[in-house]
Amino acid sequence: MNVLDTAKQVGWLLHKDLVVEYRSRLAWPVMFLLGIIVTIVFSLQTSLPREYLPSTASTMLWLATMFAGLVAIDRTGIAEDQDGCSVGLSLYPLSGSTIYVAKFLVNLCAILVLLGVLVPIFSLVTDLSLAKHVGAMVIVAVTGSAGLAAVGTLVSNLTRDLQQRGAVLSVLLLPLLVPLILAASEATRLIAVDEVGTQWWRWVQLLVAFAIDFATVGIVLSHYLREE
Amino acid sequence: MFSKGTSRLELPFIMVPVVAVLVAWGFVAVGNAPAELTMGSAHRILYVHVSVAWVGLVAFSLMAVCGLGYLLTSKMKWDHWGQASAEIGWICSTLTLLTGSLWAHFAWGTWWTWDPRLLTSFVLWALFSGYFILRAGVDEPHRRATLGAVLAVIGFADVPLVTMATRWYRGIHPVSPEMDPMMQHALLACALGVSAMMALLLIYRCRQLDLEKQILDLKMDVTDQGGKCHGISRSSLS
Repeated sequence: MNVLDTAKQVGWLLHKDLVVEYRSRLAWPVMFLLGIIVTIVFSLQTSLPREYLPSTASTMLWLATMFAGLVAIDRTGIAEDQDGCSVGLSLYPLSGSTIYVAKFLVNLCAILVLLGVLVPIFSLVTDLSLAKHVGAMVIVAVTGSAGLAAVGTLVSNLTRDLQQRGAVLSVLLLPLLVPLILAASEATRLIAVDEVGTQWWRWVQLLVAFAIDFATVGIVLSHYLREE
Repeated sequence: MFSKGTSRLELPFIMVPVVAVLVAWGFVAVGNAPAELTMGSAHRILYVHVSVAWVGLVAFSLMAVCGLGYLLTSKMKWDHWGQASAEIGWICSTLTLLTGSLWAHFAWGTWWTWDPRLLTSFVLWALFSGYFILRAGVDEPHRRATLGAVLAVIGFADVPLVTMATRWYRGIHPVSPEMDPMMQHALLACALGVSAMMALLLIYRCRQLDLEKQILDLKMDVTDQGGKCHGISRSSLS
């Protein structure tokens, strides 16, 4: 099977998942609502001196993204197991890695859209200035989302057979995401304080390395996780 | 069959005295190490802390190797070594956090602070605590082994982070401080003692898991034969 065939299969799966979400509207509305609620609740706690605002608010933004993103990640996995869909997929000649890539892209789309909603709201309610470096913020958002989606999809695959799936997903995912949250928060803080330089680039490199690392591990190991 | 059984009996006679001597040497060396200038005798926590931290990281690395071994061969032996390593690693990781916190109380005046080494060590502990929760949720042995192996490989990513955290990021955790030769001797003795003890526990735990599997297989055989226990031979019990 060549790369083009695999790309087509990924495209079909991606299309299927996005259509399912468009028709059912089960995960994304909950994710947006949770993200906005967490953002507003966090912003109530930011009556801090001006110098502490960038670091606190950028961490809160990424924590809100992580908590709300978990809903989408969890839902993408559950949707597959309902109504015998995973059995249907296993009958079709698809490798675990292909399914992983498709799920990763669905989750990436969800988290990017979520960030597209949360960043403006966060800037408004916390008075955090991110508009000066839109390009830099897009880079941080894409790399951070890619890392979150890569780890999230992998751990979601890992926990799909469990009864307490949601709880175990959170327990495993949160420790793995600590380096990502630290790097993304720090990169966002540097944008807010107008210091997009070498230091910022180092954090972005860490985000890129994190995303590539876990996406590669996910592609390789998903083959074993899909074996029945 | 008989020679296999004999070798199993012989192992404790060879290993236990060696481990006992190493542990005793560790105790004596730590007791004889000179007191540190500012912390006094409280610095002796350091010998245990470094030793258990080292064994913990080795155990988690071994666990990842066993995870890869299982994924490539699907042999339960790898899973048993992996599970035994995870249990030893988790005990050592917990002891690392506890002794580290105790040391921090005397050295820094706080039980816990956000330092890169402390954070990555905590992440490692949390991750491998999740390993047992994940395994507990699956009944089928091979599926359980696969999930455990994958998580072990993913979690291994944190091991180099813990090791290099003090060098890559600025923090307050000491990086290879200079020590008196007597202190170095105490640290080496303690590390050898703890390593030997944990290696012995690892071997025993792995054997216990092998035996558990054999018993389970025998039970399955009996069930397949319609519950006729006379189908079990002496050779199948070895």
